[in-house]
Amino acid sequence: MFPFLLKALWRKFWTLLFVSIVSFAVIHLAPGSPSQIDPLNPRFTPQQLERYRKAFGLDQPLYVQYGRFYKQFFSGELRSFKDNQPVLRKILERTVNSLPLFVVETILIWCFAFPLGIATAVKRNSLFDRSMTVLVFALISIPGFYLAYLAIIFVVQSFHVDVIGLRTFGREGVGAFSAMMDRTWHLVLPSVLGATAGIAVLSRYVRSQMLEVINADYVRSARSKGLSEDRVLYLHALRNGLLPFVTMLGLLIPALIGGSVIFETIFAWPGIGRLGYEAILSRDYPVIISINFLAAVLTLVGTLVSDLLYVLVDPRIRL
Amino acid sequence: MAIEQVEVLSGIHGDSPSRIAWRIFLRNRVAVAGMVAVLVFFAVALTGLMLAKGEHPIFDPREIRLPDKLKPPLSVPNPEAVPLELRPRLGIYLLGTDELGRDVFARMLEGSFVSLAVGFVAVGIAVAIGLVLGGIAGYYGRVSIGVWRLRLTVDTLITGLIDVMLSFPSFFLILTVVAILRPSIWNIMIVIGLTSWEGTARFVRAEILSLREQEFVQAAAALGAAGPRVVVHHLIPNSVAPVLVSATLGVAGAILTESGLSFLGFGVPPPDATWGNILSDGKRYLFDAPWLTFIPGTAIFLLVLAFNLFGEGLREALNPKLRQG
Amino acid sequence: MPVKRILFLAPTLVSFFLILSYFWVPTFEDQARGDPVRLTRYISSSIGDASILNPTLSADSASSEVNDLVFDGLIDRDIDLSFRGRLAESWRIFEEAYLAVDESHRLPDGASVTAERLLAHLEVARRTGAPSLRLVERIEIEPPKTVTEKIEEEPEAKGKPARMTPVTLRRPARIKFTLAEVDQDFFKKLDPLLGGYIRRLDVSRFLDPSLPPGVKARAAELLSPVEHNPVIIFQLRKGVRFHDGHEFDSRDVKFTYETIMDPKNLSPRVPDFEPVKSVELPGPYRVRITYKHLFQPGFESWGMGILPEHLLNEGELRREALALGRDPEKFSVRDSNFNRMPIGTGLFRFGEWKTDQFIKLTRFEDYWEGPANFREYLIRIIPDLLTTEVTFYAGTSDGYAAQPHQVARLQNDRRFHAVSFLALGYTYIGYNMRRPIFQDARVRRALGMAINTDEIIRYILLGHGEKTTGPFPKQTDYYDPEVQPLPYDPGGAAKLLAEAGWKKNADGVLERNGKPLAFTIITNSGNEERNAIMVIAQNAWRRLGIQVQALTLEWAVFINQRIDKGDFDAVVLGWSMDLNADIYQIFHSSQTGHFQLNFVGYQNPKADDLIVRIRQEYNHDRQVAMARELHGLIARDQPYTFLYVRKSLSLMDAKVVRMVPGPDGRPQYLPFRLNKLGRIGFDFREWVKTPTPVLPPYRSELSQS
Repeated sequence: MFPFLLKALWRKFWTLLFVSIVSFAVIHLAPGSPSQIDPLNPRFTPQQLERYRKAFGLDQPLYVQYGRFYKQFFSGELRSFKDNQPVLRKILERTVNSLPLFVVETILIWCFAFPLGIATAVKRNSLFDRSMTVLVFALISIPGFYLAYLAIIFVVQSFHVDVIGLRTFGREGVGAFSAMMDRTWHLVLPSVLGATAGIAVLSRYVRSQMLEVINADYVRSARSKGLSEDRVLYLHALRNGLLPFVTMLGLLIPALIGGSVIFETIFAWPGIGRLGYEAILSRDYPVIISINFLAAVLTLVGTLVSDLLYVLVDPRIRL
Repeated sequence: MAIEQVEVLSGIHGDSPSRIAWRIFLRNRVAVAGMVAVLVFFAVALTGLMLAKGEHPIFDPREIRLPDKLKPPLSVPNPEAVPLELRPRLGIYLLGTDELGRDVFARMLEGSFVSLAVGFVAVGIAVAIGLVLGGIAGYYGRVSIGVWRLRLTVDTLITGLIDVMLSFPSFFLILTVVAILRPSIWNIMIVIGLTSWEGTARFVRAEILSLREQEFVQAAAALGAAGPRVVVHHLIPNSVAPVLVSATLGVAGAILTESGLSFLGFGVPPPDATWGNILSDGKRYLFDAPWLTFIPGTAIFLLVLAFNLFGEGLREALNPKLRQG
Repeated sequence: MPVKRILFLAPTLVSFFLILSYFWVPTFEDQARGDPVRLTRYISSSIGDASILNPTLSADSASSEVNDLVFDGLIDRDIDLSFRGRLAESWRIFEEAYLAVDESHRLPDGASVTAERLLAHLEVARRTGAPSLRLVERIEIEPPKTVTEKIEEEPEAKGKPARMTPVTLRRPARIKFTLAEVDQDFFKKLDPLLGGYIRRLDVSRFLDPSLPPGVKARAAELLSPVEHNPVIIFQLRKGVRFHDGHEFDSRDVKFTYETIMDPKNLSPRVPDFEPVKSVELPGPYRVRITYKHLFQPGFESWGMGILPEHLLNEGELRREALALGRDPEKFSVRDSNFNRMPIGTGLFRFGEWKTDQFIKLTRFEDYWEGPANFREYLIRIIPDLLTTEVTFYAGTSDGYAAQPHQVARLQNDRRFHAVSFLALGYTYIGYNMRRPIFQDARVRRALGMAINTDEIIRYILLGHGEKTTGPFPKQTDYYDPEVQPLPYDPGGAAKLLAEAGWKKNADGVLERNGKPLAFTIITNSGNEERNAIMVIAQNAWRRLGIQVQALTLEWAVFINQRIDKGDFDAVVLGWSMDLNADIYQIFHSSQTGHFQLNFVGYQNPKADDLIVRIRQEYNHDRQVAMARELHGLIARDQPYTFLYVRKSLSLMDAKVVRMVPGPDGRPQYLPFRLNKLGRIGFDFREWVKTPTPVLPPYRSELSQS
């Protein structure tokens, strides 16, 4: 067990190093410099541009910049090109903003996917199953931003309430409970939209896993032993059918971050996806590289955990 | 389980596995509807290729008629302002015009081909890479290479590469790369392909690994069948099924990704039309010319839905474990 | 079965809870009517977040919106665009001119030149009323002195950083003239009086031959035999307070200038203030600014927001650095937290800034002109255009800049005021005059004549634009309304092209000497208007038989790889400008290098001359005359096809009006006053939002004819 853990950690470390180099190199090889140094601004002379480049350290060779960058990153000193604020603090703040969204999305996904998947598996090929299939796929077939616009316009015009941002704007002096409910309301639309894809995918996966297991030998033997259908399903079948889900743990994180870009932009949600997108647009190197790096760290931790659990669970696969 | 697989191999029931799968598939009416729709879209795309592309197409998607901008579907061109040679082929604007007076019907035709092409090429690239890398990792995984005095196995290298790819938030990575490169339709296809192979590779590798240990492969090896032939003849055909499924679903995903990139400003650049960029261009006119979003939005919806249902149906049909007892 | 129950209960509970939250959220009607506090707030929205809330360090639009409200400048523009004093009550502009004394020359009477003799000669002339000395108030002798300056050496190779070398120069004695007004031709007019002395002066006489060649050019500038030093004296307003109660005085003005010029601060405004020689404080409410050379556009820069010296001086910065644990040597204004919590003298004081969410400003009760009617000003940051629109219709923001296609629908909507005004800037097609096909002016004219600008304005801008014919802002009098735009005449264009030697070949493509007329036109992606123009131009030119390829590139690539390197054929772009007449960087022949703004490579000596003289002219009427002449010249040369100026439409909630106290003490509601720029914020201090509309919705059409 231990040697496996060490080997896995060692591999993760090298992966991380490689990730750090790749994300750094890719960004810096891009054409275009940080937009603070806007060359089409009539105010900028080449001397000024040179001064800016020096100040941002962009005139050094790449490997020097790499070392400097990560040193500053780990010491918390790294600053954004755009507004000179410490990058780590910015990312932390925005992650905290995105967290309720991610948490609610995850809750929605797991809450809805399992019952849906199981029900459609049990009632296979019935009208219920077929209509749910179509409905579920329909939801993920609409381009996300289009669905978001339609939803916003519908809600705003029918219910006349604000759905943009973290909370209803310009409201002060309301009780803590009201404020909390207000924030919850503002979470509803973006997290529901963000969760639809996950619910669809996961429920289909649950369904197919359940179907695989439902007719397996051990389940048939449990049934023949006279256990109730419910017990058979929810105790034996479910447990075994769900084993592959452990692999999904680590992979959820990058999906959440990447998927949030569009919705956070539309809903004016000050989250991590939007931060990344705007950083890309303005070539704010420190922020882009930091977000990629941190996402990679989180993902690697997640996949490490999944790999461990997977090995523990399925002895057939030897690494 | 073992009994079924022997049946499959020796064909005791007299039906090949693909014929069985086909029959199961046909029983799933929803999936069949999806397949039919996909075929219809193919036809539309081919029509689009013939009718809307080229220098002087029959339906010209690029002709600008400013006096006729933002006209609703089924409207007639302005007789004074639009000269005869610029009028739409059918005499009316079947699906209306966009903000430059271009015929939306013609653009949708052109876009159908481009959108499908984007989906297929991207997925093609992804699947090709995934199959190759996954296959190598799965079969030759134990082979070790001495690189700089480090003994690394092929498997370690490839799964390491997979880990690196998986660590980046994929949409974010696509965005970064597309923002860096010159915007072009090929770059987008290649980038989507390059960022979505890891699923296939992991899957193929896992399948091969688990299949290797199973009895029939060991039996074949005992019968004297040599290494690569075993792979080609037995392992790959058994892995093709899930790959086919993920490819079908992948096309749907690629089309949606392309429309997402268009929304963020990094999609296929004009004047090439894809349904994704027609939709995202139209969003500014949501209140004034709703058909500019409704039409491509619905079209993408139906196309992606068709692929999804088709792919799901395939998955169910091709997975022997899902067969009803 | 507990597992089953949990599995099916969970989604129900979650959905129930989420939907329940709806009932705690106020509707728009609740907010508007039931919430009187809402009426005291003005909410605007911005696509991007502010970066640095310091007017000396930032130039993006969101930061500028805040800085304009939190800080005041010495001057700004009045309704008719003339300058009006804000923190400055009044000002005077005159100049000090210097003439070097070169003893190797002779005066008209034959005596050799000395400082005293020159002075005497001039004094006599002045007393006898010589016209060239009409403006002179005083003549003095400036003794010779030694000047040490840090000169930036020309870098030996491109890309290498320039070195700053301290150089000691010996300046000869000079005659100093104090003139009542600035006159760029003063020395030219004076020369006959001195028998051509000035013309014969040569700076190389004063240069030390041992100077390294890299600094020679700059040294020659510094030792120029004639020098104009315009002087501005501002009389400052008394009794103005900063938001923290500290009184504003001349030290703050000097400090603002020094902050901009401090290289540690990386201010983007340096070029505006670079020509300043010195800022002196003759008194707590007087500022004397001397310029190194004639530079009229520099005056407007004093509209820059003034920083509080007492909060950002060296001592304060040091204290802040130590408190934050940073190195005080490297800590500059740019690093200070002041940029996140600014304090100025402006109408509103800073309240709160939640990054990427909103910025809140509250009314400053002690504002020198009197406090605003609105108690709070909020800027919401909403990155999506459609969502911004929805927010405006819903009433959660009070102002909105409409897109052209929305104008027709919204202009008659009684819920909103609609204010239309011309933008400061214009859209054009630029031709790279280094490419052989564009070197013939006839070709450029023909290309312009093929484009139907009226149609572009009518159909793309939906009528919300005006044709422009030259490089100056239409709102100013620098723009010559007599200059005619190019006619839309494809037939005439074809004729011109034929004249220039382009004939149609067998494929219908124009060619000359076997080479086809083919080029690529580029613009940046994401700008629909420019995209549309590009496509229209492409089609129009194709009909003439020209092979045109149209390409859109992402902004960073567009600028860095193509424009900055002069690597393009034709480009669709726009300029956004200031109100002055200085087009040096865009059209002067010295600005055609890489990374410079005359990227089309326009070179016309006559234009160069006019451009330089305009910059140096402080008399408005003379400046206008020269500008109009330059306008005509550039219009004839057509380095650009000048297309149009956009008109913007600003919408506002109809419940917002101007309120002034009436004669009987009761509030009087009046319509807005707009200055020629359409800056409706001009009167923002008097604005108020009423529960229901009290005036009919405002409709304005500002045109510049």
